[in-house]
Amino acid sequence: MGIAEGKRLADYGLSSERLLMEGKGPGAFEQEIARMEKLVLATTLDKAIAWAQTHSMWPDTFGLACCAIEMMAVPGPRYDLARFGMEAFRNSPRQADLLIVSGRVSHKMAPPLRQIYDQMLEPKWVMAMGVCASSGGMFANYAVLQGVDRIVPVDIYVPGCPPRPEGLLEGIVRLHERVMAGVPPAYELGEEIC
Amino acid sequence: MTGYEHIPGLIGVKEDRGETTVLVEKERLSEAALHLQGELGFNFLSDIAASDYLGWGGETAGSWGSADGRDLNVPYTLGLDLVPEPKPKRFSLSYHLLALRADPVRVRLQTWLDEGETVASVVSVWPVADWLEREAYDLMGIVFEGHPNLVRVLMPDDWAGHPLRKDYPIGGEPVRFSEEA
Amino acid sequence: MTATVSDSVFTGPVLYEGTRIPSPVPSWVQVDPARLEDGNVREVNFGPNHPSTHGVLRLVVDLDGEEIVGMRAVVGYLHTGFEKSMEQKSWWKAINYPSRIDYLSTFQNELLFVLAIEKLLAIKVPTKATWIRTALCELNRIHSHLVWLGTMGLELGIQSIYFYCFEQRERVLDLFEMVTGVRVHGRYCQAGGLAEDIPPGFVPDARTFCAGMSKAIDQYVHMTERNKIWLKRTRGIGVVSAEDAIRLGLSGPVLRGSGVNWDLRKREPYLFYDQVDFEVPVYNGGDSYARARVRIDEMRQSLRIAEQCLDRIEELAGDPWISDDRKVVLPPREELQTSMESLIHHFKLVTEGYRVPAGEVYVAIESSRGEQGCYVVSDGGSNPWRVHFRAPSFLSIAAAPTLCQGHLIADLIAISASLDTLLGDSDR
Repeated sequence: MGIAEGKRLADYGLSSERLLMEGKGPGAFEQEIARMEKLVLATTLDKAIAWAQTHSMWPDTFGLACCAIEMMAVPGPRYDLARFGMEAFRNSPRQADLLIVSGRVSHKMAPPLRQIYDQMLEPKWVMAMGVCASSGGMFANYAVLQGVDRIVPVDIYVPGCPPRPEGLLEGIVRLHERVMAGVPPAYELGEEIC
Repeated sequence: MTGYEHIPGLIGVKEDRGETTVLVEKERLSEAALHLQGELGFNFLSDIAASDYLGWGGETAGSWGSADGRDLNVPYTLGLDLVPEPKPKRFSLSYHLLALRADPVRVRLQTWLDEGETVASVVSVWPVADWLEREAYDLMGIVFEGHPNLVRVLMPDDWAGHPLRKDYPIGGEPVRFSEEA
Repeated sequence: MTATVSDSVFTGPVLYEGTRIPSPVPSWVQVDPARLEDGNVREVNFGPNHPSTHGVLRLVVDLDGEEIVGMRAVVGYLHTGFEKSMEQKSWWKAINYPSRIDYLSTFQNELLFVLAIEKLLAIKVPTKATWIRTALCELNRIHSHLVWLGTMGLELGIQSIYFYCFEQRERVLDLFEMVTGVRVHGRYCQAGGLAEDIPPGFVPDARTFCAGMSKAIDQYVHMTERNKIWLKRTRGIGVVSAEDAIRLGLSGPVLRGSGVNWDLRKREPYLFYDQVDFEVPVYNGGDSYARARVRIDEMRQSLRIAEQCLDRIEELAGDPWISDDRKVVLPPREELQTSMESLIHHFKLVTEGYRVPAGEVYVAIESSRGEQGCYVVSDGGSNPWRVHFRAPSFLSIAAAPTLCQGHLIADLIAISASLDTLLGDSDR
């Protein structure tokens, strides 16, 4: 399948909020997809597998700090995560698909984080939730790892301090779109993402 | 509250902004601690706060003014006390004590020490001091003699240096515009 | 590395008889050598990534079968360097940091730091601002206890209480969003008052919330009191005597669960707690059940306080919400067009920030977890010289081994949940 040059996600039946902006050229997201289309050669079976993966992508309970509380609110009654099939937060990384790094990662916590990531089975995705996980946030100091992408490959970054639950859901939806578009998880893409 | 005169090793008592600070000699800290806990009834140790005064008295922290010369724009001072009073030694160690009873009293037991000096541990007086002293050791490098388990508590075990000291860099990574104040 | 121990400089009395605090290290229950030989002792690691430790806490537990015979806690996995970061920023900018320390009692933490700044500045805060602060503090306390109850229930087997609590939590956060613009980490307190006036719809909406919350608390009591599993898993578990609790520096609901009637809101009132009617729940059990009941009852009392505050806020509508001392507080924007002094003040405040007179203060408030304290040293400049936070969770975690000794592994979950520790608060 892939996404041909000049085409947009909408042409493939996927939704993106950029559709609302008529006349706007393919944005960075679509350009990235187009750039990676050489890596992608999806068949109908691949599409079916991607559909299944996005509809029950179970997160790992990796809540660290304030973002974890907003992450805990997402399976709650108002922002129901169960409609995405993701309310089953697995405690064991062996059973989890998505590692949502929610909160600041201190240097002492970095080895356990990498260990949890390594224990997850492929295919696995990583979401850096919040600015602390994305780039160190407001803590540019000795104690905090300046961005979790220094030790694990990240698929999607969700900014915010903390991101609203709707923001986290937007990140999840974008990740699902990515997977459906046939984009491989970040560990297969190597340096191009990090 | 009276009764502070009999604290062993007392150097002075200061009252400021409604708080009482009792200064004692470092060598007699443990006797002072016992006296405060036993005789004066301060049974609750709230906090042990260590502070590093390296570089105190030069430019005031973060300001554009300098230590010499009057700066009329400084609020509340008319420029007269721009230079804060000098400190006796490099580190201050403040024990925030509370007499937990119907008429509570708070006091700050303070002692001063230099780099390389050690101070007695008060773990046997107030067991809560166990982790509080470990934190002061970990982040400031103050060694407490007599502490049964003085190892790092917040930083990784193999960390070098004591991060909250003034000569320890802030770390992180340079961010755009960070050189300008 | 351990410090070299020379001749002991201190020969104090041994701890009083009957204490359960382990010796020689108060925070480390060491395995009895006899047990090591006879029993089947294994060292097990809980965390740092564990669903039930409420954050990145690592507990190294020695288990003989299911019984806990040795335990110590390892923290620092969330150490963020708040204190050092705050030294680099001006006073105004540093107010952003404390909310992130105890990320459930966010408003109370930023209020604590601002109270310390105001004590150093000796600035007068308008009455209305103090009433709003009191109301928001209590709503924040309710928020923290809701998350605590939701997660504790989830771990002890009442999974549905998580949904009930988080439903109400969303309503509290709606109120905070109305006032501060964001759900958490509002950064609403300023030295001298508050950043902005409360919006007009706040008081009626808050009253609606209080009415609904009152019924919800009845539901929570029903769900816990009549649940045999909850009762069996918390009664008699993790007992700490009043003496031990004071020696271990425990405060807040943990201390009140052991029978000590100590609440800073009554004993050393700050804000307007001396002008509102409320009770302090104290239970004598010293076990996890007592601590849990204290918090549930506290939620009810917080509602009571909040309702009284709302009445006063309504009376004071139209009053200023921040001090008018232009050396510390930004002038209103309209003034900048007419007054030269206001323009200069605005310029100095935005570029350099206000200067806080030299001195050191220690301010303590009763946060949801206990006595939260802030020690601030100023040298007269526009940055803090030293900021140190006294974290109740740090000490609760240090005390956890004392409470857990002799219990079973499943009780460890109940005890650590009843202590309501928060690693952001502990590790700062």
